Amino acid sequence: IRVWWCSKRVIMGDNIMTYNGGCSVAMVGKDCVAIASDRRFGLRQQTLACDNERIFRINDRTFIALNGLGTDVETFIEKLCFRLNLYKFRESRDIAPRTLGSLVSNMLYEKRFGPYFVEPVIAGLEVDKATGAVTPFVTAQDLIGAPCFPGNFVVGGTCSESLYGMCESLWRPDMEPDDLFETVSQALLASLDRDCLSGWGAVVHVITPDSITTKTLKARMD
Amino acid sequence: RHYGRGKHTLRVASRANTHTHTTHKHKRMSFQPYQDNGGTGLAIAGPNYCVVAADTRLSTGYSILTRKSSKLITLGPKTVLASAGMQSDAIMLRKVLRMKSVTYEHEHGKPMGTTALGQLLANTLYGRRFFPYYTFNIVAGLDDEGVGAVYTYDAIGSGERVSHASQGSAQALIQPLLDNQVAHSNQTTEKRILSLDDAIALAKDAFTSASERDIYTGDTLQLLIITEEGIREEHIQL
Repeated sequence: IRVWWCSKRVIMGDNIMTYNGGCSVAMVGKDCVAIASDRRFGLRQQTLACDNERIFRINDRTFIALNGLGTDVETFIEKLCFRLNLYKFRESRDIAPRTLGSLVSNMLYEKRFGPYFVEPVIAGLEVDKATGAVTPFVTAQDLIGAPCFPGNFVVGGTCSESLYGMCESLWRPDMEPDDLFETVSQALLASLDRDCLSGWGAVVHVITPDSITTKTLKARMD
Repeated sequence: RHYGRGKHTLRVASRANTHTHTTHKHKRMSFQPYQDNGGTGLAIAGPNYCVVAADTRLSTGYSILTRKSSKLITLGPKTVLASAGMQSDAIMLRKVLRMKSVTYEHEHGKPMGTTALGQLLANTLYGRRFFPYYTFNIVAGLDDEGVGAVYTYDAIGSGERVSHASQGSAQALIQPLLDNQVAHSNQTTEKRILSLDDAIALAKDAFTSASERDIYTGDTLQLLIITEEGIREEHIQL
């Protein structure tokens, strides 16, 4: 095991979380949420794909984006889908975003001393069964499942510092879906342009109670 | 050799099990010549103005040394230098630049312009290529035509003239905001030139956002606004 760990370090380099690159951001608006990510997949400085999907639709009201090591993103989403299918069988209903957050947190903490190198970003709409009121919800976690619930925006990935700076400046409360789309797009594109490991276009999903709008942005393709 | 019964044995030193080497492992004491005192600076160049801003927090590790330390220095009548990074190297750098610019003034009969100071800084920093000044600098002011000029450098003097720049601990947070708002990147609407008031408001917004997310940036914002009339100073609480 010791030899395997050493050789992994030689392959992956000093930071496993920046090996494949990529980033994502989720923002809260007025009765809507947006989640966006870039589309690059690479091996350190070499780019391999420009159509990598990092955001996964859980159901019509919940999306999850997984940043970090590509192989762990694939494995984790498959394991997550397995758990979600079981949930569907037992509960006969779609999972709520907050519950998904707890599930993901638990799955990550199970591997506390040998974690999945993924940092999830979750966005969704909580629907109150009694009143029908819709509350937008975002959460992000670290690789061992420690969540945060900031209420305005969450970021993750290699250019997270840049995304924090952009979102902190551009976000304001109660944005309509069109406004929210513009804000998320500008925040993401400006941050992508300053990060070598992210880029090659972006995907933005805007989720409202009635619709999901998906747009692909063409940024600097480099 | 072991004496005693069962688990509780008395181990007696004998020649067989005594270590014979005399050197013992100890932590290598080393002197770290550099430290990071944190802080951030930014500059925005306009058609007839230049805005330079820097916070006034000085830190070391997770502690604050002072909330009132300035990172901005006036090098010439129309030029300001902002230095983030290690404060003692920044102080030394200012002294060296001041000495050289005073010498220039005596030799040429006029004070140094912004472009000349920009080149002087690059050469001074590269002069210490193999034991660098741990400072991240921005030279900002009005060039000979009265147009705003901003020069940004790394620690060993690699620099270029740009329309906007940020350096320091919150550089990653502020730079994309400046790209988006000053250079109008990734926007399809028509680009507009920022007025002086817009540039000042942008600098204040950038710093308020950066202070939220970066622990080394905060306390007070010191703004120097360079125009044809001269250099005006403002202080804003963060």
